[in-house]
Amino acid sequence: MERFNDIKSLLAAGWVQGAISPALLVVLVLIIEVAAPGFLTSDTLILLLSNTAVLFILAAGVTFVILIGGIDLSIQSVASLASVILAQLLPQIGMLAFPVAILSGLAFGILSGYVHVRLKVPSFVATLATGGVVAGIALWAAAGRAITIEEGGRENTAWINGTFAGLPTVIWIAVAIGILAFVGLRYTRFGRHSLAVGAGEPAAIAAGINVERTKILAFAISGMLAAIAGTILAARLSSGSPNLANQLLLPAIAAVIVGGTAITGGLGGVARTAVGALIISIVRIGMTFVGINIFAENVVFGAVLILAVAITIDRSKIAIIK
Amino acid sequence: MTINAQNIKSITKSKQAGAMPTVGGRLFGRPNLKQLRAYAPLLVLIALCVLITIANPNFIELRNLVRVANSAAVPLTLAMGLTFIILLGSIDLSVEGSLSVAAMVTVLLATNDANANSFGWLAVIAAIAASTAMGFVTGVIQTFLRIPSFMATLGVWFIGLGISVYMLGGSAVRLMDPSIRDLALMRVLGLPVAVWVALVAFLLACGVQYYTRLGRHIMAIGGGEDVAELSGINLRRVRIMAFSLAGFFFGIAGVLAAAQLGRSDAVIADGRLFAAVTAVVVGGTALTGGEGGVVNTLIGVLIVTVLSNGMILLGISPYVQQTVQGLMIIAAVALSLDRLRLKIVK
Amino acid sequence: MLTANEISKSFAGVHALKNVSLDIRPNEVVGLIGENGAGKSTLMRILAGTHQPDGGTLMLDGQPLKLRNARDGAAHGIGMVFQEQSLLLNLSVAENIYLGQEDQFVRFGVMNWTRMRAAAKRQLAKIGVDIDVTARTSELTFAARQMVELAKALTLEETVSRPLVILLDEPTSVLSGSDIDVLFKRVRSLKSRASFVFVSHRLDEVLRISDRVYTMKDGQVVAEHRASDITGPELHEIMVGRGLQASYYKENKQLPPRSEIVVDASRLCINGAFHDVDLQIRAGEIVGIAGVVGSGREEVTRAIGGFLTHTGGTLKINGEAVHFRRPQQAVRKSIGYIPRERRVEGLVMFLSIAENITLADLSSVMRNGAIDYGRERKLASDWIRRLRIKAPGPDIACRKLSGGNQQKVVLARWMTAGSRILILDHPTRGLDVGAKEEVYELVRELSSQGVAILLISDTLEETIGLSHRVLVMRDGAVTAHFDAAPGRKPDQVDLVRAMV
Repeated sequence: MERFNDIKSLLAAGWVQGAISPALLVVLVLIIEVAAPGFLTSDTLILLLSNTAVLFILAAGVTFVILIGGIDLSIQSVASLASVILAQLLPQIGMLAFPVAILSGLAFGILSGYVHVRLKVPSFVATLATGGVVAGIALWAAAGRAITIEEGGRENTAWINGTFAGLPTVIWIAVAIGILAFVGLRYTRFGRHSLAVGAGEPAAIAAGINVERTKILAFAISGMLAAIAGTILAARLSSGSPNLANQLLLPAIAAVIVGGTAITGGLGGVARTAVGALIISIVRIGMTFVGINIFAENVVFGAVLILAVAITIDRSKIAIIK
Repeated sequence: MTINAQNIKSITKSKQAGAMPTVGGRLFGRPNLKQLRAYAPLLVLIALCVLITIANPNFIELRNLVRVANSAAVPLTLAMGLTFIILLGSIDLSVEGSLSVAAMVTVLLATNDANANSFGWLAVIAAIAASTAMGFVTGVIQTFLRIPSFMATLGVWFIGLGISVYMLGGSAVRLMDPSIRDLALMRVLGLPVAVWVALVAFLLACGVQYYTRLGRHIMAIGGGEDVAELSGINLRRVRIMAFSLAGFFFGIAGVLAAAQLGRSDAVIADGRLFAAVTAVVVGGTALTGGEGGVVNTLIGVLIVTVLSNGMILLGISPYVQQTVQGLMIIAAVALSLDRLRLKIVK
Repeated sequence: MLTANEISKSFAGVHALKNVSLDIRPNEVVGLIGENGAGKSTLMRILAGTHQPDGGTLMLDGQPLKLRNARDGAAHGIGMVFQEQSLLLNLSVAENIYLGQEDQFVRFGVMNWTRMRAAAKRQLAKIGVDIDVTARTSELTFAARQMVELAKALTLEETVSRPLVILLDEPTSVLSGSDIDVLFKRVRSLKSRASFVFVSHRLDEVLRISDRVYTMKDGQVVAEHRASDITGPELHEIMVGRGLQASYYKENKQLPPRSEIVVDASRLCINGAFHDVDLQIRAGEIVGIAGVVGSGREEVTRAIGGFLTHTGGTLKINGEAVHFRRPQQAVRKSIGYIPRERRVEGLVMFLSIAENITLADLSSVMRNGAIDYGRERKLASDWIRRLRIKAPGPDIACRKLSGGNQQKVVLARWMTAGSRILILDHPTRGLDVGAKEEVYELVRELSSQGVAILLISDTLEETIGLSHRVLVMRDGAVTAHFDAAPGRKPDQVDLVRAMV
C-alpha cells in the first residue's frame, strides 16, 4: 500500500498526471505497430479518427459537467432522442431537422442543470432522472422502433458522410467542436468559472461567481453536444432509434477520465478528453484485433474505468468518500 | 451521494434560524406537518390506487392485483438490496450487472438449451453466491481504492453485463429446469411462488435493518459517518458487508427474473436500475443516507408497479413509463430535501 | 490521576500547544479557560486521544499513556462530550447511548431491543434524567441531547474498572439558565465516580462548578488556581492581559476615517442569531466586533457578506438598501470577504496565484472578450511584488503557499476587484508573527485609501489594536460600544465584561 501511495503522490504532481494519457496513447500506438506492422496506414488512421469522432463529441460534452464536479448520465438518451428527431423530421423539414434535434439536447441539458442546481438534486440522480424522461420521450416518438432515414432524407445527411479537403467531414466537425470547446474553457469567463466551481466551490461562491448559472450552462453544453453526436450518428447509420447511443455512455465517461480529467472537478479539459477518446477507440480496435469477444469489451472498459478513477482522483478534495 | 466539502462550520444558532425557504415552501406554499411528509408515500399509493380504480375498475379485480404483485416481485427484491446501499449514503449502479450475472449463472448451470448442465437448485445457490461475490468485490473496490461508489458501481455494472453477455455467447439461452421455472409458474394461495419469495426477501431485509448490528451500523454511517467512526464502527467492514448484502438480494432477483422470463439474455436487466432507484427514492428513503428504509421501499415499489399497471389499463403508451418515473424521481427528491440546504451538492 | 506533561502540538507549522502541563485528580472538576485559539480544544482532543501530541507525554495513574484514537481513550476511561454535539440525529436515544457498543445486546446476530432500552434507561437514571429512550434524537431539545451525551460518556463505566475522566467541551453554550443548573447538579452528583474537565468561555459558570481552574493563553497554561481563591475579574485579567504593543498594530498609521457612511445596518436581525443590530462603517474606518461563540457576531458578518439573508431591519450599502441572498450580490456591491477558512472559502487551492487573484473580477485581464493570459500573469506578478508574496511565480498553485502568503493572495484578489468594503473574518488565524504584521500593514494601507473594513478576530488585542471602533455583542445583541482611537484604546477587561 505504501508503494501505491508513493506512486500516487508522484501522479499528483500535476504535470505527471497530464502527461500520462498522451504517453499511454503513444505506447498503445507503438504496441499496435509492433504487433501488426503496416496496420497504421493513413487509411486506417482516418478510419480510426472517423470512428472516434462521435465518441469524442459526446465525451467533450460530458467533460464540461465533470469539470464542475458533477456527472451526466443522460447523454446516451439525449443523443438517441436527437437521432430519432432527426430521422423523423428530415423528410418533413429537411435540414432544419438538425437545429431542432440539437436544440432538444440543449433544452434537456438545461433541464438537468436546473433540477440539479435549483432543486438541489445530486447530479447523478438528476441526470439519471432526466435521462429516463428523455428515453421515454424517444421511445414514444419512435414508437419503440428504429426509424430509417430514407432516400429523400439521405440527401440532407450525405454531407456528413462525405469528405472535405481530403478528410471525412465528421473529423472536421469533431475538430471544430474540439477547438470551440477548448477555447471556451480556456479563454472565456465561463471556462474559468467552471474550473473554479469544480476545484473549490465554496471559494467560487465567496468570490462572487454565479455558480448556479455556471453549472446550468455546463449541463446545457453537455446536452447540446450529446445531441450533435446523436445527429451525426444517425447520419452515419442512416437511422435514428431510441437505443442508438445506449452503448456509448460508458466509453464516453471512460474517455474523459482516462484522458486525465479528474471527477473531483477543476482539473482537465477537452484536449485531455481527445486523447482519452483516442485511447478508448484504439483499445476497442485492439481488442477486436486480438480476438477479445465484442461482448467482453464492456468488461475491459468497466475495469479500465475503475482503475482510471482510482488513479486520477484527488482524495484530499473529498472529505468523505461515499 | 453528496460530497462534503471540508466542513464549513455551520453555526448552531443559525441552524435553528432556518432562514432559507424549503423547496416545499417554494413549490406549494407553506409546508405542512412533518408527519404528513413521513406518510406521504403511503398516501400517494392510496391516492394512485383510488384514481386508477375510478378510471378503470378492472384494476381492483383480483386477477389484476395478482398481476401487480407478480410484476413487483423482481423490482422489490432488487430494491431491497439497493435500499441498504442508499441508507449508507452511497449508490449502487451495478444492479443490472449483478442481476444479469445471477440470471446467467442460473440458466447456464441448470437445465437449458445451450449445454448439458443440469445442476438444478445448486445453480440457484451458485447464482446467488456469484452476485454476492460481485457485491463483495464492489465493496472492496469502493473502500480500498477509495473511489466514490457511483464510479465503482458504474464500472462493476458494465463488467457484470459484459461477463454475462459473453458467457451467453451473445444470444438468449432458455431455462428448462421445471422446478426453477415453477418459481414463476406455480402458485401458492393464488400468488406465484416468486411473490412469496419476494415477500420473504422483504421480511429478511426488515430483520436486517431493524434487528441486526449491520443494519443499525448502516443507519449510523448514513446518519453521520464521522460520528459513527469515532464511536468505533468499522466503516470499511460495514461497507463491504452492505455491498455484499445488496449483491445477495440482486442475486435472488436475478434468479426470479430468469424464472419469470424462462431465459437469460443480454437485455434481461434493462431498465431495472432506473425502476429500482425510482422505487427507493419515491418511497422516501433519503439519498443522503440514514433516513427511510425497506418499508419505505416496499411502498415505493408498489407505487411504481401500480403506476405501470395503471398506465397499461388506461391505455397510456408504455414507452412513456420511463418519462413518468424520471419525473417522479425528480419530484420525490426535490420535495424531500429540507435540512440539506447548506451542503454543497455535486 | 490523568497527567499531561509538556504537551506540544503544531498544525501546519503553527504552534497550537507549547509545553502544556496539567493534571486531573480523582473526584474533582477542573475548569479550563482561555480565549479562542488559546488551545483548549486541541488539549482536550489530545487528552481524549483524537489527536496525538507532537511532544510531551500523557500519564494515567503514573503510567505513560499512548492513545492512538478516541477508542483508545474510551478504553482507558476517558470520554469526551463534544461542543458540536456528536450524536446521530437519525437514531434513537438508546442507540446513541450505545453506539459502537451494541455487541452486548446481540445474540445469534439478532439485537435485543428490550435489553438495550432497559440499559439505556439505567444510564440516564445515573444522571437522574428521564428521557424516552425510543425517541428519535433529532426531536430532543439541545439540553436533552446534552444529557444523552453525558449518559453516553458514562457508559464507559461498564467497560472500564477505573474512575472515568469526562471532558466537557463548552457544554453550556447551547443551554439556557435552568438547563445549566440541571447539568451542574448532575455533574456534582457524579463526582464520586468520575473527574470532569470543564471547558467554557463563561467564567462565572466555570467558577461555579470547578474545584480548580487552569488558564490558557496562546497555547500555554499560564495559571492554575483553586476556584475558591480567585474571582471572575481576576481571571479575566490573566486570560487576556498582555502588553498592547501599539507599534505591532501599526497604530501610528491609524488615520481618522472619512465622513461618508458606507455600510449602514439598522435594527438588523436574523431570527435565532441576532437582533436589533445597529452598525455603521465609514469609508476608511475599521470597525471590529468582539464577542464569544454564539454572540451573533459571526452571523452579522456573514449577513453583510451576503452569505446569510437578514430577516429584519435594513442594510444599506453606499446608501442603497440591499437584501442579499447570496455572496455574489454582495461582491457586486463592492464587498470583499476574507474568510476564516482560507483554504476552503478563500482560495481555490488547485488554481494558480494568478487565477485566484482574478477570480472575483476578470475584466481587467480580458481582451476582445477572451482571457489574456499574458496580462493576467503580469497582474499577478505585480501583486506578488507589491505585497511581497513569497512564490516563485504567478503560475504556482496556491496550495503550495504558506498561510500568510495565501492570505495575501486573497487580499490581492479583492484589491484587484476594487472592493471598497472588506470583511475580515479572523484574518490572521494560523499565521506566524511576521505574516500577521504584514497583514496589519496592508489593512492600514487599505483603510487609508478609504476602504471600509469590518473585522472579527480571535484575539481582543487584535480587534482593539486595529479598529477605530469596537462593538461588543453577547447573546445576539450589541451590549457595548467602544471608541478605539490610537492612544486612547480601551482596556480588554472592559470588553470582556460586556462579552460574557
